[in-house]
Amino acid sequence: MTPPADLTASFEAEVLPHLDTLYRVGLRLAGDHHRAEDLVQDTMLKAFRAWDTYRQGTNARAWLLTILRNTFINEYRKQARAPTPVDFEAADPMAIYRAVAGTDPEGSFFSHIIDDQVWAAIDALPEEFREVVVLSDVEELPYGEIAGLLGIPVGTVKSRLHRARRVLQQALYQHAVEMGYIRAREDV
Amino acid sequence: MTLDMDCRSAVEVLHEYLRHEVTPDIAEQVRAHIEKCRHCLDSVHFEQNYLALLEAKAKAQCCPDEVRERILATLRSAAQGGDP
Repeated sequence: MTPPADLTASFEAEVLPHLDTLYRVGLRLAGDHHRAEDLVQDTMLKAFRAWDTYRQGTNARAWLLTILRNTFINEYRKQARAPTPVDFEAADPMAIYRAVAGTDPEGSFFSHIIDDQVWAAIDALPEEFREVVVLSDVEELPYGEIAGLLGIPVGTVKSRLHRARRVLQQALYQHAVEMGYIRAREDV
Repeated sequence: MTLDMDCRSAVEVLHEYLRHEVTPDIAEQVRAHIEKCRHCLDSVHFEQNYLALLEAKAKAQCCPDEVRERILATLRSAAQGGDP
């Protein structure tokens, strides 16, 4: 049975604007471009086949990300790379401010960091940290939407984000020191 | 009368404040605190620079054109009743 042309048109009109977001989130979850493409393609096909269950004008992005995430968990996660161990001591909420206090308290070093290094630092986070950082700080989803998507309370989203950002900022700071964008605290 | 907020409490809610995820009452307390606290004002700029890095640089990554085309072709084939 061929869906009518207007169905395909309405699907494309609502879904395609979110393709970049799906690809970025898919890439962070799946780990490489090839697997990300497969994951996004599977997501789009599932979304297309379930299009009659989607209520037009509701949140297409959240609906699509839910399909993407479920597809990843059910079909892709087994092959995923092992997460890099993270130093949770770095998650002290004030540590990063103390580290930069003498040299770059406003964090202007962030603007020197190149895209690949941002992605490498995000990819080094454990999956549960990686996904909240990507959904919140890259894709700018509201906390409530992230909570619905991950099936966890908003308070848990916030606490995960706090810890994830501290670890990520610490990693970006270390990189900035190694690259000579800022001097380490000990040198001051 | 607004309650005075200390630095640690301000830092705790800084991101929620920057993302407009706090109540108007908390937002007012944060504003009042950073107006008189240089350290926390630095922290606000620090977090803004961090968010700018992730929002701008990270978001610059897009779905490659050839991937977009392959996905569209698969969808259109599925729409014709094909079974990819």
